Amino acid sequence: MTKEFNVLITGVGGQGVILISELLGEAAVKDQLKVRGSEILGMAVRGGSVTSAIRLGEDVYGPLIPTSKCSALVGMEPSEALRNITCLSKSSLVILNTAVTVPFTVPLGQSSYPSLEAILEKLNKAAERVIQLDAAKLAQEAGSLLTTNITMLGALFGTGRLPIKVSTIKEAIEERFPAKLAPVNMKAFDLGYESCRRALK
Amino acid sequence: MKELTITSDAPGERIFVLGNEAIARGAIEAGVQVAAAYPGTPSSEILETLAGVAKELEMYVEWSVNEKVAFEVALAASICGVRAMASMKHVGVNVAHDSLITANYIGAKGGLVLLSADDPWAWSSQNEQDNRYIALQAYMPVLEPSSVQEAKDMMADAFKLSEQFRQLFMLRSVTRIGHARSDIVLGKISREKRKGKFVKNRDWLVYTPREARINKPLMLERFDAIKKAVNTLPYNQLKLVRGAKLGVIGCGLSYSYTLEALKWLGIEDKVSILKIGTPHPLPEELVIKLLKSVKEVLVTEEIDPFVELHVKAIAGEHNIAVKIHGKDLLPRVGELSTRKVTEAVIKLTGAKSPVDFARLDKLAEETTPLLPWRPPALCPGCSHRASFYAIKTASKRVARDYGQDVEAIYPGDIGCYALAYNPPLEAVDTTICMGGSFGIANGLSHVVDAPIVAHLGDSTFFHAGIPPLINAVYNKANITMVILDNSATAMTGFQPHPGTGHTAMGEETVQLKPEDIARACGVKFVEVIDPFDLKAAAKTIEAAIRFDGPAVVVSRRLCTMIDQREKRKRKEPIIPYFVDQDKCSGKCNACIELLGCPAIIKEDGKTIIDQALCTGCGICAQVCPYKAIIEVSQ
Ligand SMILES: Cc1ncc(C[n+]2csc(CCOP(=O)(O)OP(=O)(O)O)c2C)c(N)n1
Ligand code: SF4
Ligand code: SF4
Repeated sequence: MTKEFNVLITGVGGQGVILISELLGEAAVKDQLKVRGSEILGMAVRGGSVTSAIRLGEDVYGPLIPTSKCSALVGMEPSEALRNITCLSKSSLVILNTAVTVPFTVPLGQSSYPSLEAILEKLNKAAERVIQLDAAKLAQEAGSLLTTNITMLGALFGTGRLPIKVSTIKEAIEERFPAKLAPVNMKAFDLGYESCRRALK
Repeated sequence: MKELTITSDAPGERIFVLGNEAIARGAIEAGVQVAAAYPGTPSSEILETLAGVAKELEMYVEWSVNEKVAFEVALAASICGVRAMASMKHVGVNVAHDSLITANYIGAKGGLVLLSADDPWAWSSQNEQDNRYIALQAYMPVLEPSSVQEAKDMMADAFKLSEQFRQLFMLRSVTRIGHARSDIVLGKISREKRKGKFVKNRDWLVYTPREARINKPLMLERFDAIKKAVNTLPYNQLKLVRGAKLGVIGCGLSYSYTLEALKWLGIEDKVSILKIGTPHPLPEELVIKLLKSVKEVLVTEEIDPFVELHVKAIAGEHNIAVKIHGKDLLPRVGELSTRKVTEAVIKLTGAKSPVDFARLDKLAEETTPLLPWRPPALCPGCSHRASFYAIKTASKRVARDYGQDVEAIYPGDIGCYALAYNPPLEAVDTTICMGGSFGIANGLSHVVDAPIVAHLGDSTFFHAGIPPLINAVYNKANITMVILDNSATAMTGFQPHPGTGHTAMGEETVQLKPEDIARACGVKFVEVIDPFDLKAAAKTIEAAIRFDGPAVVVSRRLCTMIDQREKRKRKEPIIPYFVDQDKCSGKCNACIELLGCPAIIKEDGKTIIDQALCTGCGICAQVCPYKAIIEVSQ
């Protein structure tokens, strides 16, 4: 029986949060795992906060990750990871893209953005470990900024904790993209994967 | 292996889907032949999925002009013996309500299913109404799934049940069903194709007082038969635990939260559970068995206490001394969660908490002040932003003439443009329901002395904007009605509508123009503007406001999201703007404070334009007093 494994992906509308959960779900089904998940679409997509949950394991019923039960938080944007801090516990990993997206309310003077140090301090205190990544840089290295989310997915697998096989998620990526784009995405995945491995050494 | 899709007739195979795709699949398995809907989160993907496969499966699928028409389209098919469905968000059922109540007197011939997508916590809605109460009023049986798999199965079964009991069924989905993702096991697809046949039957189909009196008792009989049958439907399940003091009744998705909560607490073997899949009517025999076997009961359900009230009534009627809890321990506002159910169960059983919730609450409290406010915003280059700038500029000019402290009033509506209530535009004073802007404007015109400039989108205009427009003409309301025509139902995912020239199934059709309709309705001032020409747009809107009598301005520009997508497809360049730092004062911030385009940002005190986000609409260049914003190509 697969142990419960909960992934929460957080970010900002337009960052490709949902694609990560779709790929995870498709791969999980290929590996004969039970999958549950949910996301908030609609109002949230026009540049607002987006979260998507993917839950694996036999004993999982609900579509939402219960408080403190997140196994891995994939943070596409630092403040959005912080927004979901209560999903973490001392056995959760955080994979954090350190590139900041400042909301329009900040230049308007209606809110302020915390320092990256403050965010990291909080997350480090709440989680087992925070793995930082310059995902956009890795994506550019892979050949396209559009693969930023796939580098994050690679890093998630780099933790070695997922019950999904690496070969299966790669199969899912291959099937999802047209033949022309698959290699770029595969490279992005590998760069994210390696970067996480190195960080964990 | 051939890839599995939503139309694969591969019973027993598993696929990974969105909840709304699963619901569509259920309808496909039942051999639905007619599906009609009006878009609305969280229901839209159901009809989108069906529209995508309609030709392949030989079904008829339409985006109707509104939910009432959608429901009537499905009802007509059912009357003719064909399986049919209408899907809509919860508030859509209000629009269909008038047909719905009498439709239940008719019942169903071909299986008829109404899908109501409720939205606890109003994630994408103006309220969080619980549509089981509408079903109660209508004597309409309700199926409520606990998971995506069950949503699919129930949808397929609902058509059969509807035919078996000759009654229409509601399937109540919620956001965390429709927008959940899960693996599902496919069932068999029915290939039966029926030919619709209309049989004239006055007693059944022509509702005058006489037929109401004939058919209501028949409807009650059908409902009683369903009431008996639900006790043995597989969707309702009673698991009694010997010696259990507590029984939990979990309705729909709340049953899943309940299971997880009991497992989390490690007391799943100590509590009796009644799973409810038919909140209306309840399986009374099962409820009585549970009530008689425990000391206390907790009802878990989303939004209002519907099952709870009925369970209390059953306990009262049968004189069962048991304490029934529900919304005394669980919130009426918002979604349920495993945590909320866990805490309620702890209160009743004294079970040990699996985590320190208080510590987590404190953490949340400490963190919140650090977080930036990230509301959704109109896209960079959205035509609505330009329209609102023009509306506000024009209104301010006219308001001055009304008196020193007079401000124009902006009754607003439901669509992407509702996002303009946020700063800096702040151009929305009321948002109530679709079409409500023009209705409220009518009323305001008779009680206040100020410019009244109402706005709604093109999809909303066709849906519910025409009657209040006619009302303004008929009752001489001196208001300005701006129709924000972006050729899409953008907010809910860019669905086509009567103004777009094509149908849900991708066929070309006539393209209705709001200005033609307004003229035909007798509006004497009707103008069409391009919002990206801010000066000319404001001038026309000003003339409309000054016009004595109802005036209509159609502000026409394709939704920028669609425009950009099409340009990329055509490989047309998108030419962004940039800020010439030599000319920019650095301090005036006019572009930021007047427009709030997310592409304009501050970096190290400088105003710059994010080249990856800018769509090149050019309106910031028009408001910059220093002429510092220029097209990149120049
Ligand atoms: C009765 C009802 N049905 C559906 C919805 C969901 N809904 C919200 S906005 C909207 C339509 C938006 O289209 P339009 O008015 O053209 O504005 P746009 O988003 O394109 O700017 C819909 C269908 C609703 N709120 N109420
Ligand atoms: S989707 Fe279209 S209408 Fe909606 S905010 Fe974006 S550009 Fe504007
Ligand atoms: S031209 Fe100006 S207002 Fe238009 S999208 Fe670009 S930055 Fe935004």
